[in-house]
Amino acid sequence: MRIRFWGVRGSIPSPGPHTVKYGGNTLCIELRFDELDRLIIIDAGTGIRELGNYLMAQSPPQSTISAEIFLTHTHWDHIQGFPFFTPIYLPKTKLKVYGPVTYEEDTLEDVVGGQWIYRYFPVRYSELSANIEYVQMKEGRLSLGDGIMLTTKYLNHPLLCLGYRFEYEGKVFCTAYDSEPFHNFFSADPADPSYDAAVAREAERVVNEENQRLEDFFSGADLLIYDTQYTQQEYETTKVGWGHSSIEYAIAAAMRSGVRRLALFHHEPTRTDAEIDALSEKYCNPEFTGDVEVFFAGEGMEIEI
Amino acid sequence: MNEVPVLREQRLEDIHGYIFRMPSLSTTVTKTLEICNNPNSSPHELSRVISLDPVLTGQLLKLVNSAYYSLSNKVPSLTRAIIMLGLNTVKNLVLSIAILDSLGGKKAFRAFTPNDFWTHSICTGVVAKSLAAAKGIPLADQEEYFVAGLLHDLGKIPLNSCFPDEYSLALESAGSKQDSLHQAENRVFGMDHSGVGKMIAEKWQLGRTIIDSLLHHHDPDAAGEKTRRFVAVIAMSNFFANFFKIGFAGNNCPDETVAEHLAGQIGLSWASLSGLIDVVSDDIEKARIFLQLTKKG
Repeated sequence: MRIRFWGVRGSIPSPGPHTVKYGGNTLCIELRFDELDRLIIIDAGTGIRELGNYLMAQSPPQSTISAEIFLTHTHWDHIQGFPFFTPIYLPKTKLKVYGPVTYEEDTLEDVVGGQWIYRYFPVRYSELSANIEYVQMKEGRLSLGDGIMLTTKYLNHPLLCLGYRFEYEGKVFCTAYDSEPFHNFFSADPADPSYDAAVAREAERVVNEENQRLEDFFSGADLLIYDTQYTQQEYETTKVGWGHSSIEYAIAAAMRSGVRRLALFHHEPTRTDAEIDALSEKYCNPEFTGDVEVFFAGEGMEIEI
Repeated sequence: MNEVPVLREQRLEDIHGYIFRMPSLSTTVTKTLEICNNPNSSPHELSRVISLDPVLTGQLLKLVNSAYYSLSNKVPSLTRAIIMLGLNTVKNLVLSIAILDSLGGKKAFRAFTPNDFWTHSICTGVVAKSLAAAKGIPLADQEEYFVAGLLHDLGKIPLNSCFPDEYSLALESAGSKQDSLHQAENRVFGMDHSGVGKMIAEKWQLGRTIIDSLLHHHDPDAAGEKTRRFVAVIAMSNFFANFFKIGFAGNNCPDETVAEHLAGQIGLSWASLSGLIDVVSDDIEKARIFLQLTKKG
């Protein structure tokens, strides 16, 4: 499996002189199975625009571009690049779009395709030339053919959101974003008037179980891409309940679950290159990370597992 | 009353349609909207208002156990459901139900008031949970007793809302014949609230224990071996609420002969239960204050 980062920034694109090194595009990852000639794309943030241009440049004219696109969820920073993915306007392109939708009655096609209406974009959805098939995803395990197995896991985010675990020829590649550790938002303080012993205890048990399930999901991964939008201090100060994790939590979780390499991902839009470099110096060394190799993902970075 | 008897199938169709968009109780709706519209409201307040409404509780458990999530294990606990779904999803769901026309409109729900029904449901839930505690049921499992008690009469909501005239008639008939409401419902509708409750619980996929509690709370012996003792606790709690007239959900004639039988079945004496009155009154009073209800409601 060959993985390439096309967009690593969370929330909103953040171009400018301070994000040149790690990149300002929102989320998009390319996953290649070269010997199978299969292309999987994870998320369609603004990074997918450049990936689309690259695919166009690489493919001979009149050839077919085929890809499977796995959306972790449909928040804007994960789908906003899709209308600018040029292959979608070519009749020979074949796309299979996988993703979860929340409990409302709209389909994945409506949620994603809803971007192509005149008030937001000059092309209507019905005018897209590509052949697009939508597959609504839930938690589970399925074969993608060619010996590729996929396990999906619900993460803790304000919208239904899936982590993806791809297994192929004994190697494991896993995504766990956008995700916040499950936490007990019920009062645990007996002095608090809203304290309820039974609820507090049950909530604590559920939180521990769910966090363990999440670690089981990415356990033993050769590469894990994790949501680390915040530092622990930022998280605790103002970001609890926003649906993202801290760098410190991700590293500790990866260490507990035997992950080999951990890519810190979904960077806070205000984080400058210099700040990431400083964080990298602080956190990405064996003193802090033990056996896990930890790095901050940057646009253009390529990894083979 | 209609001149032409309405066919049972037609009634079932009406009920099915109603269950699809079943509103919450008018008793809780003001507080629910207040909490959901206030960005600073606490998770505890949100979970509390849900736990005080059988429809909100049922709908939340329905969602977490639905095909949308396709989880391998049933989630019977409200606390777990809220943590797993997250506050945003829970708020959205609860809001979408709260803005439906709440129960207690001009015509519907006439046989008894939503507030009396609410009090009866809460009382049954609180007693069921207390009995579970007295029986040494682990803390984590006690919540399911509360939920089952809270939901046990859910089947009365569609009957009372879809057919308010006939439902009042059933209530009168039960009063004049000195028998219980579910028998009168059977005479008038050809079905009773236990059966309708089962329909709801099955449609919402609430799991065997809750389904059996709704279906068999007037006859726990008919429940399967696995759920019989659980259902007996719900039946006893329902009897308690009726006997002490805490709230009112239409049953004027609690069958005292079954009380001893139920007490034996769950292994607690009837006398030991009467001590629960203070606990229950206290809990209901606290809930009333929380919901900002006046005494009369």
